[in-house]
Order: sequence, then C-alpha cells, then structure tokens
Amino acid sequence: MIRLNQLVATYTTVRGTVKAVDGVDLEIPSGNIVGIAGESGCGKTTLLKVIYGDLVYPLALDSGGVDYVFADDDRQEVTTETIQQYWFKRISYIPQSSMSSLNPVVKIRKQFVDFLEPKANKEETLDRVRQFIRQLDLPAEALDSYPHQLSGGMRQRMMVALATFFQPDIILADEPTTALDVVVQKGILLLLVRLQRQMQNTVLFVSHDMGVHYQISHRMLIMYAAKAVEFGESAEVFSAPLHPYTRMLIDSLPNIGDDHMRQGVSGRPPSLWDDLRGCRFAARCPLATQRCRDEEPAFIEHRPNHFAACHYAGDELPKVEPSA
Amino acid sequence: MKLLQYLGSRFVAYIAVLFIGVTITFFLPRLMPSDPIEGYIAQMQNQAGQTITPEAMDELRVQLRRLYGLEGSLVEQYINYINKVVLQFDFGPSLYSYPRPVAEFIWTALPWTLGLLGVSIVISWIIGNFIGLLAGFFHNSRFATTLEVVGVVIYPIPYYILALLLILQFAYIWQWFPLSTTIRPGPLTWEKVNAIIYNSFLPAMTLIIAGFGWNILSMKALAFATKEEPYVVFARLKGVKPRRIMTRYVFRNATLPQITALALSIGTIFNGALLTEILFSYPGLGLLMRTAIGSGDFNLMYGTIIVSIVSVATAAFFIDLIYPLIDPRIRLR
Ligand SMILES: Nc1ncnc2c1ncn2[C@@H]1O[C@H](COP(=O)(O)OP(=O)(O)OP(=O)(O)O)[C@@H](O)[C@H]1O
Ligand SMILES: [Mg+2]
Repeated sequence: MIRLNQLVATYTTVRGTVKAVDGVDLEIPSGNIVGIAGESGCGKTTLLKVIYGDLVYPLALDSGGVDYVFADDDRQEVTTETIQQYWFKRISYIPQSSMSSLNPVVKIRKQFVDFLEPKANKEETLDRVRQFIRQLDLPAEALDSYPHQLSGGMRQRMMVALATFFQPDIILADEPTTALDVVVQKGILLLLVRLQRQMQNTVLFVSHDMGVHYQISHRMLIMYAAKAVEFGESAEVFSAPLHPYTRMLIDSLPNIGDDHMRQGVSGRPPSLWDDLRGCRFAARCPLATQRCRDEEPAFIEHRPNHFAACHYAGDELPKVEPSA
Repeated sequence: MKLLQYLGSRFVAYIAVLFIGVTITFFLPRLMPSDPIEGYIAQMQNQAGQTITPEAMDELRVQLRRLYGLEGSLVEQYINYINKVVLQFDFGPSLYSYPRPVAEFIWTALPWTLGLLGVSIVISWIIGNFIGLLAGFFHNSRFATTLEVVGVVIYPIPYYILALLLILQFAYIWQWFPLSTTIRPGPLTWEKVNAIIYNSFLPAMTLIIAGFGWNILSMKALAFATKEEPYVVFARLKGVKPRRIMTRYVFRNATLPQITALALSIGTIFNGALLTEILFSYPGLGLLMRTAIGSGDFNLMYGTIIVSIVSVATAAFFIDLIYPLIDPRIRLR
C-alpha cells in the first residue's frame, strides 16, 4: 500500500512557483496496476516524481507526504526523504523518454549493475540477469551490446528488465511505450502485466491511451489540472464513471465499427498559473452550475472504493447529439 | 564493416589533404612574379662585375635550375618533385648552408616541435576538460563558477600577448626560466633531459594556458547540456553515485565532440607552436622556418612548409583513429 497524504508539489520558475500536484490524497492498495490518465500537463509525471522521491530543483514538496508502508532495515518509516536508498531495489522508475535512457557509449551490462554497492557481487548478479532477460524474450547477448545495437522494442524490454529484476515493491512507469509502434507496444505491455502478476508488485502506469488502461489497469486514477478527480476499480470507472471528465475521456475512445466520429474532448484545461476557484473542470463541463464555479468539490468516496471530486458525481449527463 | 568504412574514408581524406598540400607548395613559388634565379644572378653580377663570362653565367644558370628543381617542362618538374619530396623525403640542399641537405635540418628540428606540441596539447586538453567538466557538472556551486571564470578570462587573450606576459613575469622579472633556449648538443644524459625540461617549461606553459581556456569553456557547455540528457537523468534515478555519473555518463559522452574539435583545431595549435618557438628561440620547426625566410633559403622554406602540412594532417588523422575507440556507434554496427 502507498498512502498519499494531501500532496502538494511545486515547481519554482522565474515567474514564481506553480502547483503541479495540488492536494492529492489517496490510498493505493498493493499488488495492483494503477493506471493514471489525464491530459498533458495535468501533473502525472510530477506525481510519479514525488512518489519516487526525486525532489530536485525546481521540483519541491510543499506539504503532505507519502507513506510507503514498507519498513526499512532499522524499522524506521520510509519517507520521500529516505526512499532514495531503495531506488531500483524496492522502487523503480521507467521514465517518459525511456527510449534514450541508456548511455550510448557504455555496454548495457555495466549499466545494469553500476548503481549497486561497490561490495556487491556484480558477476554473480549479471549471471542471474542473463537468466532473467531470457524470460523477457531478450537474447542473453543483448546484455553485452551497446544500446544502438538493439531495436527500440528491445531497448524498451531492457528498461522493463532493469526496473523489474530486483523485484521492487513499486514500479513507476511513465508512458513506457509511447514511442513504439502498436505491435511492439502491445508486446511490452503484456510483458509488464505478466511480470506484475508473477511478482505482485504495485505498478503505477501513466498513459494517455484509455484503451490500454481498459486492457491492463486494475485501478484508474484520473487527474485534471493538478488534482485527482476520480479513483476506483477500472471495471467500475469504465462502466459507471462518476466524474464528467472521466466520461469525456472514455467517450473519446473509438469503437470498431463505429461509423461516426467520436466526440473529442473539447476545450483545454485551465492554466495552473490562474487563480483557480471552484471546480477546475467547470468551464468544460456540461453539468456545471453556479455551485461548481464557486465551490470546490471534495474528493470523496461516493461508492465503496470509488472516489470522485464532483458535486454531481454519477448524475446523468445531458444527451449530446453526435455531430455526423 | 562500419568501422572499415569509417577508417577508409578518413584515410582517403588524409591522403587527399597531403596531396593537395604538396601540390600547392609546388605551384606557389612557380606562380611568383619574380624569378629567384634571375634575382640571384643579378645579385652576383652586381658583386662580381665583369669577371663572370657569359658562358660561366649560363653554366651557373643551369646549375641553379637543377638545384631548385626547375629543369624541364612543368609536368616533368612536378613528377620529379613528387618523386623526390614524397618518396625520398628529399628537399634538396639548403641554399644558405650549401650543400647540407634541408632534410637534415628538418630531422633535427622536428622532434623539438612535436615534443613541445604533443606534451602541451595533452596537458592542456586534460586539465582544460577536467576543469570544464567540474564547472559544467557542478554548475550550481560557487567553486564551479570560479573555475569557469578562469576560462572566460584566459580565452580572449591573444596568444602572443599571453606569451609575452609570461615571458615578462617568469623570465624577466622573476628569472625562474631562461629568456631564450640554450641546449648544448650531445648525447641524451640526465643533465640534458633536465636542461630540456628547464628550457621547455615556459614555452609549454604558454601553449597549455592558451589552449585550456577554450577547453574549459566548451567542455563546460557540453557537460552542462549532457547533464540533461535522458540517460544521465535515468542514471541519477537508478541511484548511480554522482562521481560515476560525472565520469561514466557525462564525461564519456561530452568528450566525443571535444575530440572532434581537437582534430579540427590542431592546425591553429600548430601555428601557435611555431610562434612560440620564434618567441623563445626554441630550436624547432618554427624557428627553422623563420631562419629560412630571413635568409631567402627557398628549399628550406618549402621543406618546412611541407613537413608542417604533413605533421598537422597526420596528427588529425591519428585523432580520427582514436575516435572509434571511445564511440562504439562508429566501431560497431
Ligand atoms: N521543470 C519544470 N519547471 C516548471 N514547470 C514544470 C516543470 N515540469 C513540469 N512543469 C509544469 O508542471 C505541470 C505538470 O507537468 P507534468 O510533466 O507533471 O505533466 P504530465 O501530466 O506528465 O504531462 P504529459 O502528459 O505531457 O507528460 C505542467 O503544467 C508543466 O508545465
Ligand atoms: Mg508526463
């Protein structure tokens, strides 16, 4: 379980500070794939960075904190300040630009073990890595190559191998497949799902692709303008979403055999620099009332384990005729 | 395969540069409006008056033409020239210290220049890039900013001014080092090695200091940019120790363009070395070149020019050969 307590994270810029994660408060149960979706700039990457404890300038944790609920060797509680010692051992990260995340002039083998303690037995570890990557459909020689000698898909598999080899409790994956073609993408996702099932880790998986989320995520977290707006079991979020924004995202999914254009998500999210009052989605919401514009909705449990931040959560949307 | 292709193309370029350089030095004197032989004869006539008979004069003319390699048609001259210069490394006799061959002077001078240059290029590259790396990698620290200032201050000073300042301070005011080079010929003993180091220190210093200002600035910029590369960010996220990130991730990558830049600037550095030798009366190619020009010794002049061209092209070629060793993308497909 990971508990996020009223997280507020800010970036310091020349214009001042901006809250890229603004009061996210939820509990992520262990052993799940949690899909995170939302438009570009809504704070998905920032949320992952905070959970990972990668709080370097200009990013800073303003208030709140993360409970990882695994104790360290001294039985001390692990916090965002002390999680760094567990990087790639108990928590790992596949970054957004993972295609170019391997050093082009160093053999992959070295990059697999260069973060281990100097006294670690690297040769023995590498032998196990060789065994392990074979399960991932990677040839053992791939370890002795330089990144440019591998295809994009293989490099991506290597990143997955790196992130999973030490069997971490938590894996953070930020759009791990966006740069790949659909077939390769599917292979990587299935691999990730398979490894998660074997190891039972908690995977936080960011993607813009609601179709992918539908296929692999056990739970869904929808973010909008630095806030969590909906969180619940995937099946329920997809079949009976509580937040109108979630509904818009789902409606933008094409169905095969559909002969008219799906409704896109019209409008844009507000700028985080503006003075934001009320519900941040109000300007684009078909259900919005004066109350939405004045009063910020709380993020509450409307159904068991299904949270949303909407005054009219679950209410029927007015029917919109699809434009032909 | 890719490596062979790379090496092949570099080799062809190397040969082409040599060929073009040698060809230009062949045509350059022949395009000059004044004929050095007629000039020489006129000079002789002035001094000797009527005592030289026209027959003796013609004889002299033929002799001189052979000496300068000016017999026959242009094509014959060219083939003859390539044959002698390229295949036998024969530049003819020195005209000023006749009949000692030019090659002899060049062979004595060349090691001095190459030694001075080689040592100072390596030292200034290592120190400059090391400082630049620290300045770029720890760009937030005050210490790094101070380091960068060193580069900013040194870089724009014209080379000869820097050299004169150093001479003034170290050789004239403090008298730590000699004003000009005096090394007695003789076998290589400990005393001689000491004398060489003592005499070469200041010229080498000026070359090193002049070179590393640029190295600091460009390495700083490269290291700073490389730090933001996804593979460096990912190394940090893996928990690789900062020192290793600096060496294995930032330096290994930022050093590639620095090596290319070194290959490209080797000619300029060579020019600097020639100037240093003249300033310090250092017995290398630069000093020899000045002597040749000062005494109108054409054979010696063209000999030193050709050797300079060959040296610069060869040095650049060697650097090109080193490059695939550190960039696997060229070495391996
Ligand atoms: N280094 C930074 N400095 C200042 N602001 C930043 C920085 N990185 C991100 N932001 C801002 O923080 C907000 C959230 O960014 P974040 O990268 O978390 O979004 P995201 O949801 O991951 O978007 P995407 O889908 O495009 O990856 C954005 O408004 C962005 O402009
Ligand atoms: Mg992102």
